Amino acid sequence: MQYAAEYIGSNYGTFASDYRTLVHANIACAEDFGFDQLSTISDPYRETQGFGAEIIYHENGVPECVRPPFADIDEVEELQAISLPDPEQAPRMQDRIDAVRLYKELTGDRYSIMGWVEGPAALAGDLRGLSDFLMDLIDEPEYSACLLDICADTAIRFARIQINSGADTIGIGDAICSQISPMVYNELIWPRQKRLMDSIKAIGGKTRLHICGQTEHLWPKLRELPIDLLDCDHMVDLPKARAALPPSVVLGGNLDPVNDLLYGTPSTVAAKLEKSMSEAGPNFVVNAGCEIPSGTPKANIKALCKPRLRKC
Amino acid sequence: MNESLNQLTTAIKAGKRKDARAATAAALEAGLPPQSVLDALTEGMNDVGVRFKANTIFVPEVLVAARAMQKSMDLLEPVLIASGIEPEFSIVIGTVEGDLHDIGKNLVMMMLKGANFKVIDLGVNVSAEAFANAVAEHKPDLVALSALLTTTMPAMESIVCDLSRIEPPIKIIVGGAPITPDFADQIGADGYSADAASAVELAQKLCANAQ
Repeated sequence: MQYAAEYIGSNYGTFASDYRTLVHANIACAEDFGFDQLSTISDPYRETQGFGAEIIYHENGVPECVRPPFADIDEVEELQAISLPDPEQAPRMQDRIDAVRLYKELTGDRYSIMGWVEGPAALAGDLRGLSDFLMDLIDEPEYSACLLDICADTAIRFARIQINSGADTIGIGDAICSQISPMVYNELIWPRQKRLMDSIKAIGGKTRLHICGQTEHLWPKLRELPIDLLDCDHMVDLPKARAALPPSVVLGGNLDPVNDLLYGTPSTVAAKLEKSMSEAGPNFVVNAGCEIPSGTPKANIKALCKPRLRKC
Repeated sequence: MNESLNQLTTAIKAGKRKDARAATAAALEAGLPPQSVLDALTEGMNDVGVRFKANTIFVPEVLVAARAMQKSMDLLEPVLIASGIEPEFSIVIGTVEGDLHDIGKNLVMMMLKGANFKVIDLGVNVSAEAFANAVAEHKPDLVALSALLTTTMPAMESIVCDLSRIEPPIKIIVGGAPITPDFADQIGADGYSADAASAVELAQKLCANAQ
């Protein structure tokens, strides 16, 4: 994201606050490097702003949420009284919808267009404050279930409008799930992710799930979700992931954004890619495990995107 | 072990903050030595660290345990100070410039407190200059840097580089979700840990070696 913004001489703050910059930056990268998919992600706080949070933009950093809007909402009854944001009224959600529409207008069907929503757990952490949300999962399961329902409903509404505006895929960012126990995940988060993905599939969208870090402890339940593409961070063992997940799930990954891409060379990137492709087998797409940092050599990203023939 | 000390250890392990506070109050009212209360608290947090490292518990369970520990410390700390019992080692900790995430840093901080370190928390988005100023002011035994975003790892490298010029030299440890041992070596850090419990072990080892 910061890389793409800087690639066209802009900055992260503008990329996150103006869909035109986001769209032009990502199209420029897609055309020069050969990406197959255009993304609408910029930061986690689109929906959070829709719930009333103040967001501050930094020229060269991730946008900042001044205060989680649900920090003082401690009771289920208070949660139940909250109205969901209308994506076409909330400025930052509307900005993402505008990005999808502009992608479609400028590129037609040349690229896959990926809309984006915060997953139920990620949005709950954004709204409540991450530490408080995680402690609520232990202390207040009823409250947590109610909050996660609100978050899933918000994501469903937001995803639907993005698909209707031209997105063929919805990326679901639920980064924090890797830090949650299988028991809590299975009971509280998985049912909401399932509901969200079922809803996306029901209107013809494809699903991409991004969870930062090691997700192995969640695979037994993740395999039951209707995931089309699962991002694998660089610490994930691809052969194990391939064996654990249904063959229909495309794995994406899993170069280390810093050690492989920022500090690597075109030849080390190529070698890592060959390894990943042989380990992951079919139904695999190449990407970095997480965000590519500013300053990554252009030659390394070209090496990442260079077409390769799979060895039989 | 005294019953209230047992209850304190059990409450910390289970993340029961009210029980931890009540057990601490009972132990202190009974006149038990504050060091024994601290030892019971540390035993509970050590157990939490072991289970976290073994992936039998995860971040939410550690957070509630750390919160219970803090409730106990709120009562215990003034008594420890009045008794002349002070932490043996101190550490300056912060999340590197450009990164606003604090959960990993807070976990390490709370585990260090549970192991009786004095912790100077600089918060998030901390510049090299702010780290250097804190080192000059507090003269810690260690500096700990945290990063969650891949995009802020270069900032970690830059801060380690700047802090490595400080005289007398200060030991620096690094950690965070995207950090690897290779990266820590590459940027010249003195140590890396993969999780909060390991960070405490690493800090104890580096501080003990420096004595």
